[in-house]
Parts: sequence; structure tokens; C-alpha cells
Amino acid sequence: MPLGHAPMLLALPANRITRPIFGGETETAKTVFYVLALLTVLVFAYGWFRRVRKYERGRRTVLQRLRRDEQVPSPSPVVAPPRLGVALWRVLANTPVRRRNRAVGTAHLLLFWGFTGLFLATVILSADYDVYRNVSRWITGSSHTFFDGTFYEAYNAVFNAAGLLAVVGLVVLMVRRARSRGVRLDYRRAEQPTSGYSRVWFVLGDWVFSGSLLVILLTGFGIQGLRILHEHLPGFERWTWLGYAVAEAFRGMGVSPAAAGGAHAILWWVHVGFALAFVAYVPYSKAMHMLTAPVSLLATNPGATRRLPPPPEGKPGYVTLADFSSKELLDLDSCTKCGRCHEACPARTSGAPLSPRDLILDLRQWADHQGGTVSLLDWETRPEPSGPVAGAPSEPVAGTVVPERTLWACTTCMACVELCPVGIEHVPLIVNLRRSLVDQGRMEPTLQTALQALSQQGNSFGKSARMRARWTKGLSFEVPDARKEPVEYLWWVGDFASFDDRVQGVSRQLAELLHAAGISFGLLYEDERNAGNDVRRVGEEGLFELLVERNLAAMAKADFQTVLTTDPHTFNTMRNEYPQYGFDKPVRHYTQLLAELLESGRIPVRPLGRRVTYHDPCYLGRYNRITDPPRRVLAAIGCELVEMPRNREATFCCGAGGGRIWMVDDPQVQERPSENRIKEAAALGVDTFVVACPKDFTMYSDAVKTTGHEQDMTVVDLVQLVAEAMAPTLAEAVAG
Amino acid sequence: MRIVVPIKQVPDLVEELELLPEGTDLDRDLLTFKLNEYDDHAVEEALCLKEAAGAEVVVVGLDEPEIDQSLYTALAKGADRAVKLTGDLEGWIDTHRRVAALASWLASEPFDLVLVGVQAVDDLDGQVPALLGARLGVPHVSVVTRVEPSGDGAALVHQEYSGGLAAELEVRLPAVVGVQAARQAPRYASITRVRQAMQEGSIEEVAATGADEAAGLRVRRLFAPEASGHAEMLEGNVGEVAERILELLRTRGLLKA
Repeated sequence: MPLGHAPMLLALPANRITRPIFGGETETAKTVFYVLALLTVLVFAYGWFRRVRKYERGRRTVLQRLRRDEQVPSPSPVVAPPRLGVALWRVLANTPVRRRNRAVGTAHLLLFWGFTGLFLATVILSADYDVYRNVSRWITGSSHTFFDGTFYEAYNAVFNAAGLLAVVGLVVLMVRRARSRGVRLDYRRAEQPTSGYSRVWFVLGDWVFSGSLLVILLTGFGIQGLRILHEHLPGFERWTWLGYAVAEAFRGMGVSPAAAGGAHAILWWVHVGFALAFVAYVPYSKAMHMLTAPVSLLATNPGATRRLPPPPEGKPGYVTLADFSSKELLDLDSCTKCGRCHEACPARTSGAPLSPRDLILDLRQWADHQGGTVSLLDWETRPEPSGPVAGAPSEPVAGTVVPERTLWACTTCMACVELCPVGIEHVPLIVNLRRSLVDQGRMEPTLQTALQALSQQGNSFGKSARMRARWTKGLSFEVPDARKEPVEYLWWVGDFASFDDRVQGVSRQLAELLHAAGISFGLLYEDERNAGNDVRRVGEEGLFELLVERNLAAMAKADFQTVLTTDPHTFNTMRNEYPQYGFDKPVRHYTQLLAELLESGRIPVRPLGRRVTYHDPCYLGRYNRITDPPRRVLAAIGCELVEMPRNREATFCCGAGGGRIWMVDDPQVQERPSENRIKEAAALGVDTFVVACPKDFTMYSDAVKTTGHEQDMTVVDLVQLVAEAMAPTLAEAVAG
Repeated sequence: MRIVVPIKQVPDLVEELELLPEGTDLDRDLLTFKLNEYDDHAVEEALCLKEAAGAEVVVVGLDEPEIDQSLYTALAKGADRAVKLTGDLEGWIDTHRRVAALASWLASEPFDLVLVGVQAVDDLDGQVPALLGARLGVPHVSVVTRVEPSGDGAALVHQEYSGGLAAELEVRLPAVVGVQAARQAPRYASITRVRQAMQEGSIEEVAATGADEAAGLRVRRLFAPEASGHAEMLEGNVGEVAERILELLRTRGLLKA
């Protein structure tokens, strides 16, 4: 509601279609109001200044991002940062808030526009009363106003609607919050501090925020109704349709115009008091997201997780507050604790001590301590100060503020980044924190062994590079050596498909399939090394660079057109990250090639008639949006696809990504993500679980056993189904 | 305190080992080399000592394949100096020649402690620490799992034996210690740090002397291990299997009754 409503309503100018602003109020009351308003502005400005000062301690990358300097041409780009206009639309339409969450998002949209409308109303009123009337008086000697007549009527009609939208949206959100029993709004931590903790201030902060908004909105309508009743319901006020209805309701309850005037005088101060206090409170509370979240959304770069940013110049990773980018520090303040990441996170789901939400809230509390900013509520407290609650400067942030176990629990599946309605990029943040741990040599032994094997032998299995192509033994033909003869496709087989006994059979089948289809392809043999996607996500940037250099050198020796990958992880880094190191060849995943070969008839098949479900690998479906080709393959071989509830870019991680496959389960884990996923599939009543990633093949082959679904669920690679669907003569050759 | 850690390169056993036609050495062209695991522990124990009590750590290696990588890695982990002894060092350098070269360099290098891996895949009898101690005329202790300074120019060393026995000895410094295992697993040096060490290029090269000394032994022939039969699976019911086990034990003279 506009702030400057009159407390006492006397002497309306006759025949004018308007209402008094401070009309008849004493000069003292006016002075009090303006002093309070000035104080409000000062308190607000101070709080905001402190926050901006905090952001300025971070590295400047926001502007670079807006200018899209970080973009590097890629022969097959995935997701470029949206153009400014598109990004702006996403903010104004609340698109990310409504995504996969229609009801809550729509309620938020109502509140967003309702609140924005009422803010505009106040600005317009102030422009008339404080500016236009004074300026016109100084210039012409008499005070002019535009706040009357048709403008007045339209103003009230429109902003009454805005008020109603805000109230409806707010009430829906509050009821939903009060009734919610799900994990999203459950503030229990994923990682348990030894001394315990309390988050009651979080809950209080939420209710103070929403509650005071509701009081402001309702008292606004209240004073409007009381004023109109006091003025004996003039006909033109029917344009103020909601206020008029409230006035009629008061009259119906037997309130006299005189009593309405008296009540108005009191309620006006309540309304104004709450409104001013709320404005002053914004930079010290959850309400801050109204200012920071749009900036986060405008500055967010959807490419950043797919192509990780390098560590800060001259630093191994994030150690102090100054290592964070300004955008990241701003992001911390944008978090509204909506809990979408918390719900979707496979680590949190499995019981591991990581929740993306808690990570952000912990970092925010720590950054607030470091940066000297304060929130009045929205604090976590602990009986014994520790981690983010310690207060005193605590560095390095990785291991001190955020426990090492928490950082290692991340699978980099990107579900959190995908879902975050305010554009927070959790994964690059986690990787930068991991980098500082790796720099200190702090990691679990199994990971250390894997990294040492990767640097010594070029594969995580610690096998001799000369054994890499041993899986090709037993093929009906010899796979060309791409270093010795030109080929169309350079097949990057990857560690798991080369060395894991269970997956080697699938690799052989794919080789026979491609051979039968007359595809020209070859291998790098012992010169192929791990592509480094997960090495980079573990935080071992130097080793990643070493692998890239060696792989690029090996590729320079070969003559080929396109890289074909088995592993979606390889696919991601080659497609999105290698171009930054000078790589300029297109990259394809084998599901893309298979779909093409089946649809063009180059691989003749008969329909299988099986009912199956398909698991989208994170690095294929979510990271690279390749969700159709595998489904086209299934359709081409006559399989009926029954979708799991979490499919395509909303897929659920198997738990192997981000180097997790080289680590042991956290002791806190109750149910592995892969087991959770198999149960999801089992509930569909299908007996075939189709994968398109070598790591998935091993993870889910284990999970069907540990969940007791060994009898009723088979894990197959898409390749195996295609081989099965081939004409029997071909299938026989391929079965080898 | 000044700690010298001699390190050496050994063949990476993930590669298949092949013998030269004359049978006196491995075909080294087919091998990749890595730091001897026990030397890695010696470096780690030296760095732990440095962190706990303060020390200067000097790693020294003979000019063997890929030794630079190991020296730079040690620098990246926190060693203060790296020295490479160069010269005519082709092929397998046996223990006596290795010790002669190290001792000759150490004669002009002051040290309080030499920490060296107790053995290596091509030196399973663990002669290096003992020979080095003898050559330098200082005490030597081997199979050590922890070293701590104990004041008065001495050090406390822990040894572990089989059967859960342990010993704690005090040794007068300077001394040579053969390290079985460091107090903690060898740390990880990130590739970024190793590359930084490389850019600083701080390996000192010193001409090796003494390595041309006659070897203590001469390799006449190496043999690849031969597969000798397979395990016999005992089949049948419990009674039959038990009978067969008894019979086997009797025929091998392991059971008298």
C-alpha cells in the first residue's frame, strides 16, 4: 500500500476526485513520518553498503560474465549464457522459480508482481506529492498535482489488483510452508556438528519475513476501507474496488464513518510503521533476495559447471573470502533456503554429510562473519562454536568451515545447479574448495591411489597403458590404429570400457556393431589416456591439464574427423573443456551415432518388443542435453520405454561422478544413490534397466544385487539391446 | 638438523618384465620407472620430522630413468634441496656401486641423519642402509617405522617386528636409518606443485664419484618365474574331502599319526 496515506481525513476539496495525502494531519505528524522515512533509508543504505563492501572483497568476474568474455568457441556448444533480454525475462517471469514447481512458483509470481506493483504505486505517489507538487509550487507559485481524476481512479483500480495478487500469492506460500512435511523445508542438517546446532532463527526469520508482509498488505486494505467509509463512500471510489468492498464490509459490521476516521488514524501508523521497518529490515534478512537474486540470475552462467572455471590466478583453489568471486558471494545472499537442491541432491538423499543448501548457508554465515555483515535473524547457532558458527576468522575455508567429508561427498551431478531458482552454481564452488584440499594433499587414500595411477599410467585402474586395447582381443577384425591410418571416427573408449571386465564385453559388441555398419573408426591404443573430466572435478587441476596436454599430443598424431566417446564424462570434457586448450574437432556420444545408424537403416534390426526403462547419465542428459538419441534408439529397436519419474535433465545420479567412483562410501551413507535409483525403476514393474554409460553399468550391476533385485531386474547397456535386435547372423558375430 | 634422503627408481611392476636375450638384465627399454615405495616412505618420515622438529631435508638420487620426476615431487612435497649424481650410470646399478656413489658424495656433505628406504624390489635383502652406515662409519638401524629427535645429538627410533613385537632404540647421530614405513602414508603432491618445482628448476647436478668401483657381485643369469602346476580342487562331500586332506598331509609327512 502507498506509504503516504493520511491519518486524519478532513476537508476534502469539493468535487475533486482524489484523496488527501497527509490532508489535515498536523505538521508534527508529517515531520515524524519524514524523520522515520529518512531513518529507514539510512538503515537500509547502511545494510546494503555493508553487503556491497563484502561482495567487493571477492574477485571481479560478474561484469566479465555479463559481457560473456568467458565464452570460448566450441564446435558443438551446449548452453551459452542467455542473452541479457532472455535473462531479464527469466527474472520478470519467475521462470526458474516456476520450473518443476508450478503451484509454488505461480504463487511466488503473484507475490512478486503484486509487491512490485505496490512499490510502484508508492513511487508514483511520492513523485506527485513530494516532487511534482513542490516543484510546481516553486516554479508557478501554486501547487499542481496529477493525482486526481481519471488517473486517480485508474491508479486505485490497478494497484488494488496488485494488492490482491500479493495477498493471494503470500497466503498460498504461507499455508504451504506451514503445512509442508517434506524434506525441502525441513532445516535439519545433512552434516551433524558434534556439539549439535539450532536453526530456530531460520524458522523465525522466515515467518517474520512473510508475516510482516502480510500485516503490511492487510493493514493497507484496512486503512483504505476505513478512509473510504469515513468519506461516506463517494461514488468515484468504486474504482478503488477492493478498498470500497472493505469499506462496505466495515459499514455492514456497524462501523460509523466517525469511528472509521478514528480507527484509521491508529491503523495508518501501524501500516506505515511496519512498512518502514520492513524496508529497513531488507538488507539484514531473507528479504535481501529481492535485491540480490535478480543479479545472481542475470550473472549466472549455465556453461560454468559444464566447463569449470580455472582456479583463481596464482591460487590453488579457494582458501580465503577474497578467493571467492563477487558473484559467488552475492549468490550466498541470494539463497532463500527453498530446499530444492537439498531434496534433489543424491549425496543428501543417500545420507552423506552434504546438502548443497547447507553448504551455501554455512558459507553465507562464515562470509557474513568475515565480511562484517549481519543478518538479524536467519542464523544457525551451536552450543559450542564450530565451523561457520565459529565467528573468528576461520581459514582455510575447506576443512574448517566446510568439513572435508562434505566436500568429498559431491558427485558433481549438477542437480542442484539445474534446479536452483536464483542461479547459484554450487558445483564450481565445491570444486574450487576441493582444489585447495588437493593442494594440501588432503584426500582419502583410495583417491590418492587413483590419482597416482592416473599420473603414472594414464588410467585409474593402475594398469599398464599397453593393456588398454587388450579388450579388442577376440574381435572378428582388427581395429585400425588411428595413428597409422586415417579414420572417420576416433573412438575414445575411456578407462571403464577398456579395463573393467564387465564393460569390456559391451565395448566389443559396440566395435562389432560399428564394423558391421561399415563405420570407419580407430583407436589411439596405448596413447589414449583418461580424458580427465573427473580428475578436474576432484580438484586436481594440474593433473587434468597434464592429461589434456598428453591427449591432445596423441590426437595430433592421428588422422580423424570426429571423436566418438563411450563415456559421457569423457564426452563432457572433450566437448566443453578441451576447446579451451585448442581442440577443435566435433565430439559425439555413441548413442547419437547408433540412433543415426538405426534410423538410416545401416544397422538392420527386428523389433524386440521389450518393456524397458532408461537411465539418463548426468553428464549426457543433464550436462549435455542428449536425451533424445538414446530414446530414438530404443524406439528403433521396438522397445517400449517406461519412464522413471526422474528422467531426462531431471535424472538422478548413480553416485559415481566427480571422482566418487574412486572413493569409499561415507560411513553415514544409508542407501547408495544407485540403490535408490534401482528401487525407483523396480516400482515401474519393468525388468530391464537400460544404461548408456560404462560407470552406470558397473554401479547399477552392483545395485541390483545389493537391493535384492537380481532376479527381477537386468542392467543392460543400450549397445547390448541393439546387438540383440540385429539380424541373427549379424547378432551372432556381435555376440562374440 | 640436516636430513639426507637417498632415493632410487625401480621398474613399475604393472608393466610386463622381459629379460634381455643374454639374460643378465631386464629389457629396460620396455619398462617405465617409478620411485621406490620405501624411499617414498623415507621422504615422508623426513618431512614429518621437519614439520615436528625443524630440519633441512635434502633428497639425492642417481641419474636413473625418470629420477627428475621423483626429485621434483619430493621438492613439491616440501624437501629443501634436490641433488642428482650424474655420470656413467647405464643399466642396473647394484647396491655396492650405489652405496659407493652415495657415500662419496656424503663425505663432503654434513648430515645428522640419512633416511633411506629399507629395501627395494631389486634389493630385497635391504643392504643399502647397512652398507652406507659401514662406509660412512656411523651407526645404522633398519626396519624403522618412526624417528624422533631425543636431544643430546641422538634420535629415538621405533622398529616393528613380526608377531606384534616392537622396539624403541636410541641411536647416536649422525646415523643411517633404513625406513620400513613412515609414521603416516606418503603425502600427495599435486601436479601443479610438481610443475612449479620444475619451473623453478632447482635440481643440483653433481658428478658421481665412486660408482665405477667394482661390483660386489656379478649377475650370471636372471630367470623369469615359471608357473609350476595348478591348485588341485578337492571335490565331493565333507567326509570325502576330509579324507583326502588327511591323506595329503600324511603323504607329505606333515602328519605322523
